[in-house]
Amino acid sequence: MTEKNLLLAIFEDIDPAASAVDALRALGIHDDHLTVISGAPITEAMLGRQHQHSNVTRFALGGAILGLGLGYFLAFVTPDMYPIVVGGQAHIPGPPTIVVLFEMIMLLMLLGTFLGVFLDSRFPNYTPTQYVPEISDGRIGLLIECAGALEQNVEKAMNELGAESVKRAQAEVL
Amino acid sequence: MAISASALPRAHAEEHLDHEAELRKEHLMLDPRPRGEMNAMVMESMLTTSWKFWAIAALMALIVAVGLFGAWGYMISEGLYVATVNRPMYWSYFLVHTVFWIGISHAGTFVSALLRVFKAEFRRPFTRAAELMTTFGLVQAGIHIFAHMGRVWLTYWMFPFPNQRQLWTNFHSPLMWDFLAINTYLLSSTMYLFLPLIPDLAMARDRSTGWRKTFYRILALGWRGTEAEWTHLRIALNIFAFAILPVMFSVHTIVSWDFAAAMRPGWSSTIFGPYFVVGALQSGVSAVAMVVITLRYTMKNMDYFIRKEHFDALGKLMLVISMAWAYFFFNDYMVQWYGGDKWTDALLHFHEAGPAGWVWLMMLITNIAIPWLVLWNKNWRRNPWILFTVGLLANVGMWAERFIIIPVSLQINRMPFMWGQGIKFGVEIPIFIGSIAFFILLYMIASRLIPLVPVWEVQEGQMAHSIRKYGKEPVVSVADLE
Amino acid sequence: MSSPKIPEFKAEWKEGEAGRWGLAIDMDLCTGCQACVAACSMENNVPFVGEKESGYGRQMAWMRVERLWEGQYPEVKTTPFQPVMCQQCGSAPCEPVCPVFATVHAEAEQLNLQVYNRCVGTRYCANNCPYVVRVFNWADFAINPIHANPDKDGKLVFPLHNQFNPDVTVRRRGVMEKCTFCIQRIHKAEDQAKSENREVVDGDVTPACAQACPADAIIFGRLDDPQSRVSKLSQDKRAVHLLEELGTQPRVSYLSGGSHGNLG
Repeated sequence: MTEKNLLLAIFEDIDPAASAVDALRALGIHDDHLTVISGAPITEAMLGRQHQHSNVTRFALGGAILGLGLGYFLAFVTPDMYPIVVGGQAHIPGPPTIVVLFEMIMLLMLLGTFLGVFLDSRFPNYTPTQYVPEISDGRIGLLIECAGALEQNVEKAMNELGAESVKRAQAEVL
Repeated sequence: MAISASALPRAHAEEHLDHEAELRKEHLMLDPRPRGEMNAMVMESMLTTSWKFWAIAALMALIVAVGLFGAWGYMISEGLYVATVNRPMYWSYFLVHTVFWIGISHAGTFVSALLRVFKAEFRRPFTRAAELMTTFGLVQAGIHIFAHMGRVWLTYWMFPFPNQRQLWTNFHSPLMWDFLAINTYLLSSTMYLFLPLIPDLAMARDRSTGWRKTFYRILALGWRGTEAEWTHLRIALNIFAFAILPVMFSVHTIVSWDFAAAMRPGWSSTIFGPYFVVGALQSGVSAVAMVVITLRYTMKNMDYFIRKEHFDALGKLMLVISMAWAYFFFNDYMVQWYGGDKWTDALLHFHEAGPAGWVWLMMLITNIAIPWLVLWNKNWRRNPWILFTVGLLANVGMWAERFIIIPVSLQINRMPFMWGQGIKFGVEIPIFIGSIAFFILLYMIASRLIPLVPVWEVQEGQMAHSIRKYGKEPVVSVADLE
Repeated sequence: MSSPKIPEFKAEWKEGEAGRWGLAIDMDLCTGCQACVAACSMENNVPFVGEKESGYGRQMAWMRVERLWEGQYPEVKTTPFQPVMCQQCGSAPCEPVCPVFATVHAEAEQLNLQVYNRCVGTRYCANNCPYVVRVFNWADFAINPIHANPDKDGKLVFPLHNQFNPDVTVRRRGVMEKCTFCIQRIHKAEDQAKSENREVVDGDVTPACAQACPADAIIFGRLDDPQSRVSKLSQDKRAVHLLEELGTQPRVSYLSGGSHGNLG
């Protein structure tokens, strides 16, 4: 039975962190078992990792389509539900429908984007997670999931590359 | 010979050193400090107060209670006769102030979205300050919209929802487009304010204790900064930045259509859409300059984040936008003047030579003459007093523009028997002063509760900037890190 | 894109359809006495605004008699008196701009309706009316003690309370109102005609203004009945519409230029 441990290695700079990622790969730790946590956005390419996928654009598109539906309903369906005549314009006037459609598309697209961030990132998350406050001070944290046997090697490798600290990651309420 | 040969390289080295030091002093992006230190500075700025701060906040709260809510409550119970509106001037200061506050709210979107899209790096330290202006400005605009209504307790009838009255709302009406557009803008800009705030709330959570820690913990949603979280956030911010720009343009265009869609002389002008948008940018960017200057000189540690380069950039923007405003104003004026329609002629004459002629003249002086005479000069732009004054005057000028367009134009119509004069003083004035105080109060409260500088964006920018030598000249180099 | 059950009103009006109810006002007969204004206010429970508020421009009369003059002193000529009320436009600019459908077009009566219960008081309709005939309830003039008069005993009296018309509602503050062509009288006459199994004929309906006019300068009736007085008068060569070029299709014809009038 392989027991899995979570280690958190903290680095101060990007270059040692990038070398650490290479070292971990050499030790057989797959990219999926490594989470990078940082205080400023670091692209995957900077650490030589695979591109991260996100559903946010799909949520945005879905929101836009819903917005089109809502706008269509408001502009084209409600005037016919309880018809009222106002003079000077056709019953469903052309230009105002464009305004209604546009606003509803934009609103629901942006709401969808916002929702997408929440859903994709599993926000809000108040359960205990692995984190240390130093990360928001600009450190780069490598959260490594490794088999118990490898733990010593990983620790040694991280320290050699200049990690500020390497320890068991405690799940704490943030 | 030998002496001069050895003296020369040393002089050059000193020059370059100075030049580099100058660059670092001038540009925040070239003057990085450890993130921990910047975090501490921002937290200190948020937590440090003085008795003067609380005295001003108390004064603002008093003005809000009496001027805004007191006077407004009085008006709701008495009726609109306590305001300056009458027949034919059915719309007066409330609409002027609505448009004024919506104009100011365009500041935030302009700075955080337009400048982000164009990768103007100088926006980084004050995007949040500008976005707060959008949200708080829209609150004041909403107050004035509600205030102008005869039966404000029935406002919810303007919300399209299924009901037993067998009535939906009338989408023929520009006021319904206003309803949709302003609500879209309010929700979108609040979301756009909150998203980049999350990492800074996480930072504040990590550095707080007590009630503040609970507050930030809840609002930070459990942000850690994983690769995934940053990816989702960055993609969302890109979508928001691009999408909120058409929303911003549409909002003030639709507000302008409240007037342009009406068949009145002086109002049914086809150029009102872009005219109003540029006017909103004018008052918005001027207000950003005022707020940024105020923050820099009143809050601790802001002198590191906000520098003369920002005043310089904002001043240049104000000048360009003032020129654009002058172009649209002249367009509108020229076409109306040339047309010769007798009612429009009467209206233009009333604008320039009527009782409010001095307001019209003041509008031109503060919107065109003063920015054009002052903002071309680099040293004057960088002087906070001068920039603040020019910004304040530009806002006064934009207030005057809306005053001319709404109450003054309403006094002239196609039935000369019904031309009327406006009433000078009414309850709108304390309500407006109350709304200014409310804006300031909300801002002051926000400055105590959330970090005003988006530190992660500043660090991101500093990571991307470096100084490299181009020949002998140290030049600023910006990398595109995305 | 329109649903089949809604008739194409716009096309109908654009064809030049005259409408159902209309007024003809003979400015050559009008003496400017303003009996019509007073009668209209009494018929429709229009509140007394008082001197101060009227001075501020809050006068609430649904009709006005316009008095204009031409020329410079001493060669000043008066123009004929012009009573102006809601023109009940066929293509009313006030209707599309109300966000809550408080001013709509009546399909049966073919009039412009003001729905007091629905009005939230944005006053866009009033800004868009080219005739400036809409009137707003700036205050509860009928019930707020500030606007009452003390009588000889010092008791506060509301003049309107002595002359309520039970057929018409009293509006609260924050609501827009305007001339309705005395729609309450139209409905009464139509109910009467229906119960007698006939159509409404000329003379069945007289709005308050027409009833009060001593010179018989205001004629009301069915515009779609070619035999009615108002129909014939609106075809007269002296007849014009106000601000016709705006395309509002008003239902009020103004006759002037005859031998009694000052100008052509």
